[in-house]
Amino acid sequence: MITININEKEIRLDKPVTVLEAARTAGIKIPTLCAHELLEAYGGCRLCVVEVERMLKLQTACTLIAADGMVIRTKSEAISNARRSILEFLLINHPLDCPVCDKAGECELQDLVNKYGATAGRFKEEKRKVPESHEDRIFTRNMERCVLCTRCVRMCNDVQGASAINIVGRGGRSRMEPFSPTSFNCEYCGNCLTVCPVGAILSRPHLHSLRPWQIDKEVETICPYCGVGCSFVVQVRDESIKRVIPRFGFGLNNGLLCSRGRFGYEVTGSQERIKVPLVRIDGKLHQSTWDYALNLIADKLKDIRDTHGGSAIAGIASPRCTNEDNYVFQKFMRMACKTNNIDSISRIGFASAQRYFEDLLGQGITANIILGLKNSDIILVLGGDPTAVNPILGLSIRAAARNGTKIAVIGNAKGLERFKTLRIVPDIFKEAEVLEYLLTEIFRAKGLRGEKPALDRKIEGLSGKSLKIDIAGLAELKDVLLSGGSVSIVLGMDVVHRSRGHRILFAVAGITYLLEARLYLLSESSNEQGLIDMGCVPDMLPGGRPLVVGDFKKRFETVWKGTIPEKGGLTLMEIIEATKDKKIKVLYVMGENPVFNLPNTSYVKEALKSLDFLVVQDIFLTETAELADVVLPASGWSEKDGTYTNLERRIQLLRKAVNTPSSADDWRTISEISSKMGYEMHYPRAEDIMEEIATVSPLYKDLTYDEIEKGNCLWPYNGEPLRGVVSEIPAAEETFREYKEGLYLAPEKILFHSGTLSRRALALRKICPEPTLKIGTNHAEKLGLKEGDNVSVSTAQGSINVQVSIDTAIKDNKVLLGNNFEGRGVFSLLNYEIDPITKVPGIEGCEVTIEKI
Amino acid sequence: MCHSRKSGNPEKRNWIPHQVRNDRQKIIMEKILLKNIENPDSADINEYINVGGYKNLSKAFEYQPKDVIEEVKKSGLRGRGGAGFPTGMKWSFADADPKFPKYLVCNADEGEPGTFKDRPILEKNPHLLIEGLIISGYAIRAEYGYIYLRGEYPYAKEVLNRAIRQAYEKNYLGDNVLGKNIKFHLAVYQGAGAYICGEETALIESLEGKKGQPRIKPPFPVNVGAWGMPTIVNNVETLSNVPYIIEAGAVAYSQIGSKDCPGPKLYCISGCVEKPGVYELPMGISLRNIIYTHAGGIKDGKKLKAVIPGGISTSVLPADKIDCPMDFVSMPKHGSMLGSGAVIVMDESVCMVKVTYRALKFFEHESCGKCVPCREGTEWLRKILERIEQGMGREGDIELLSDVSETISGRTFCPLGDGAAGVVIGMLKHFRHEFEEHIKNAKCIFS
Ligand SMILES: Cc1cc2nc3c(=O)[nH]c(=O)nc-3n(C[C@H](O)[C@H](O)[C@H](O)COP(=O)(O)O)c2cc1C
Ligand code: SF4
Ligand code: SF4
Ligand code: SF4
Ligand code: FES
Repeated sequence: MITININEKEIRLDKPVTVLEAARTAGIKIPTLCAHELLEAYGGCRLCVVEVERMLKLQTACTLIAADGMVIRTKSEAISNARRSILEFLLINHPLDCPVCDKAGECELQDLVNKYGATAGRFKEEKRKVPESHEDRIFTRNMERCVLCTRCVRMCNDVQGASAINIVGRGGRSRMEPFSPTSFNCEYCGNCLTVCPVGAILSRPHLHSLRPWQIDKEVETICPYCGVGCSFVVQVRDESIKRVIPRFGFGLNNGLLCSRGRFGYEVTGSQERIKVPLVRIDGKLHQSTWDYALNLIADKLKDIRDTHGGSAIAGIASPRCTNEDNYVFQKFMRMACKTNNIDSISRIGFASAQRYFEDLLGQGITANIILGLKNSDIILVLGGDPTAVNPILGLSIRAAARNGTKIAVIGNAKGLERFKTLRIVPDIFKEAEVLEYLLTEIFRAKGLRGEKPALDRKIEGLSGKSLKIDIAGLAELKDVLLSGGSVSIVLGMDVVHRSRGHRILFAVAGITYLLEARLYLLSESSNEQGLIDMGCVPDMLPGGRPLVVGDFKKRFETVWKGTIPEKGGLTLMEIIEATKDKKIKVLYVMGENPVFNLPNTSYVKEALKSLDFLVVQDIFLTETAELADVVLPASGWSEKDGTYTNLERRIQLLRKAVNTPSSADDWRTISEISSKMGYEMHYPRAEDIMEEIATVSPLYKDLTYDEIEKGNCLWPYNGEPLRGVVSEIPAAEETFREYKEGLYLAPEKILFHSGTLSRRALALRKICPEPTLKIGTNHAEKLGLKEGDNVSVSTAQGSINVQVSIDTAIKDNKVLLGNNFEGRGVFSLLNYEIDPITKVPGIEGCEVTIEKI
Repeated sequence: MCHSRKSGNPEKRNWIPHQVRNDRQKIIMEKILLKNIENPDSADINEYINVGGYKNLSKAFEYQPKDVIEEVKKSGLRGRGGAGFPTGMKWSFADADPKFPKYLVCNADEGEPGTFKDRPILEKNPHLLIEGLIISGYAIRAEYGYIYLRGEYPYAKEVLNRAIRQAYEKNYLGDNVLGKNIKFHLAVYQGAGAYICGEETALIESLEGKKGQPRIKPPFPVNVGAWGMPTIVNNVETLSNVPYIIEAGAVAYSQIGSKDCPGPKLYCISGCVEKPGVYELPMGISLRNIIYTHAGGIKDGKKLKAVIPGGISTSVLPADKIDCPMDFVSMPKHGSMLGSGAVIVMDESVCMVKVTYRALKFFEHESCGKCVPCREGTEWLRKILERIEQGMGREGDIELLSDVSETISGRTFCPLGDGAAGVVIGMLKHFRHEFEEHIKNAKCIFS
């Protein structure tokens, strides 16, 4: 215990902290400028000076570690003088252009001068001049205003890990500059911008749009882009979102954001939003009234249900919609349409993987705290780049690496290149072999755990196979995994959408089990987990209750007042195939774009065209909506109250910030159709839906919005997991395929976009305006390709033209393309083969030719 | 220390009894640091070996590393980089830290204006330094040493690299030094011309490949230095004293020069003297003795006006204040500091405003920019001084100069800013009238 005395107040500390921190916890304010709660101490501004007994000079509180018995004063004549002179020094070369500076009103320098004063007008010399830089697409740099606190640099380097900027030059000639000659060319997280105390780095999308005091309201909400679920505040003026600002000290992101979260907010304000229902008449979509459109849908659904039965109807739910929307949607499907044919795009990755792991290892196996990654000794990353798919989770891995955690990457994770301890690159599409090798080696070294007989048996069986693999680094990886430290496994979906992906999943499950590792699944959309928890899966009711267990079903039927169809439903790809076979006649798609987001686009398109009736509820006229018989306008993320459940199963509140152009809530639209079909659903507010969820779902037991608001509602909230593990692990016939020397196309999750949603975020389009084909250095050389060359990329499915970008991190013969841009998504070039166990469309092994044009 | 030793009999040395140190008498001292440098091939390893070089290495290896540290402690050796910190004590701090590897870094940045005392060692006697480094590395159990060399010393780089190569060839460096199962590797790392990189923590940052700026202390480099590991940073001259301490023994060494601050010292004298240069003399010799007896007095028979005794960062002394013993302990009592021992002599024709202006131009240029008072203050001071020197001084400028420098003083992150303010404060204290006249006459009174 350390006891110190600040301003005659005794303060007890359990551990040595800085005097600044000690003062803060005791409620004593010390002015600071270069210090920031997320950053290590720097000691540059010299503003935080205090007097310490028996120390000759004034001391900087942000760097001084409190020692037992220290007697400190934060107020005195000498201290005021020192502060005033520091502020004077800061102002002599400052342009004092507050009237035209965006930061005015929220500028720390302004506030400090206001409060602690400055000696005026003694500097009669000429000020330093530096022209403002607009070279970057997103950031404006005004180095005359810069106080050289280096908060931006420390943020970029020590927290974000992008290391894109630094202070160049010395003394008064110092400037913050990006390393690349003109633009920042960085991860564009904008975290530098939010820690800049003055108007030296500003966001161009926001530039001169308004003053901080002109904001109508600030709304605390959750980012709509990925499964991390970062908290932030949106600032609204005149019914439009002007800016996203961080919420330091709150949420798992603690003020940090990625480029999508910070700059993607313009999406819902897009001019291209659908504002009224559209109905197809004579082959063309025409505007219609709500009443007409809803009646049409209800009649059609009723008709099909009554003549062909519920199994002729299917629904696709949305990982971007709230829990409330999805809950109402599945209830509508089951109770009004009488079908369990309900699934989502999450089937092609997250939902299938999670289901597989839960079947083997128990419910909740993937519910691990993101911040807990920092406490692992070893983090094994495979199947994708966490820093691109779930950037803020990626930061936890980078932070762990800085703390000495060993980071092992299997495959490619570009954002961890500078943070990894070791990386192995398996032969193309041969991850399963590598993982099975590791599993058997771990089994040999550690034996079985004996807790899950089915798993134990299969691991033992696997070790009978003789595996000989010779890959650089594999032996080291095995040693690292067996070194005894705590292991976390971060699994991306690139290894899930494989035609034999279950082999990979089994090996990962086995390793997780034997090493008692924590398992994290990367999640591309904001509410993939919530969607599953809400029962938007064909064989599971809300709360992960299997449909086949009669007791569960009965309980739901009591609350829902009706009968739930007995028969389990079809999974996503089965729905598409049944559509093609005309077994499904009506499809209701809520907030999803299967035509673009599923492999073999032309097949999917054909399938949807053969429907009797297609309903699409969306905020934009997507590729899928264009095929619909009725298009209903949906509400965007910023336009509704509700909840999201993130990948670690944290339930968080989404708050309405602006009005919907169509003034329709998704759950309300669906409830209305349901009621018209004879199954009444009436919820006055989203909160009332949560009230119902909290009564029926064992995982959200007694949950209220008030509780969620406090911020720590983690799975299983008040409830308990109930589902047991399987007694027999399903197996499938193995297929072996040799991959030749050629190039193979694989999807890439890029940092700056999220599905097709972010297409309409102007700032994100500025950062990343075009799709690019990523190719390794070797193959680029062989093909004579240079950065920026235009090429045509062709597979058996078709061909598209894109620019080439050379990626030094790609070491195998894969080429990568994202699935974001109109008409140029990677899925349009890929065919698939369903994994018999996971039901995931496997999209690997698609040969590709690349020609320069 | 338990070993008997043959050499190190104080009688045999030209050591300086303490009583004579304020005399004007010329002191003839056997050269320790600059031994054999008149020999044009002194930098060659064989020449060094011929005069007894590398002998002390095997002798040092007979001791336990801890005993070498004890011996250096007992010798009273203080760091010659400017601050005069007891070297043995510094080593024992690094030794006490359980972390490994430890690093030894030789500070050869020599950037303080007026200072060129390390240069003759680097260029003429590199093996003395290397021998000192190996022994010191052995003492603190460091297996890697770096010489952080001033960017503007390209010749020294050549010499050092050749010397290191020779030392490797003779197995004084390597994985198994002298076959004694002792590992020590050495490399030269050249700075890029920043004065601040002489400051030990900025030096370490630079050595790590980062921008040279000082780090927060504590933790000190002895605990958290290069790459986070215990690191000793010592000046060239400091390390070059070590072989002799081993050779002569702590007791004999401690008899040289001042009692509280013993040993030989390299004084480099520049400015208005007849014989500028580097002089190896005992610690504690008086400033007057250095200037008049050894450096031949003031050039062209002019009158002495002022002396900056230890490099530009040390306070100026007017002509009547030069009867002070030049060592780390005595100088502060006489209103200045020993610093690097760089004596800058100014005669009556020198304009003190111009000197101050030139100094501040240097500090402004070299301020690393990390902390506000130094970054902004040095620039402001330079701008005012420039005006005064150009005859555009204004009423109130002197008060402003004094106020701004007092404001910088004691509030900067590292001593560079303090040094800059100190120059102005010192000059205003002793030569305020020259500033007043510049402003009154609206021109430089010396040109
Ligand atoms: C601004 C500044 C510049 C310095 N430059 C040098 C230098 O050029 N050479 C040097 O040996 N020490 C220099 N020092 C002192 C070093 O920080 C450090 O004290 C010294 O290298 C320690 O070695 P010593 O104990 O052998 O003296 C400088 C210090 C400061 C504050
Ligand atoms: S740009 Fe902003 S955050 Fe960066 S150093 Fe300048 S004032 Fe500080
Ligand atoms: S990490 Fe995910 S949730 Fe967080 S800001 Fe980025 S996209 Fe949004
Ligand atoms: S006093 Fe401050 S600005 Fe000057 S050199 Fe030291 S740290 Fe850098
Ligand atoms: S806040 Fe302490 S020095 Fe800047």
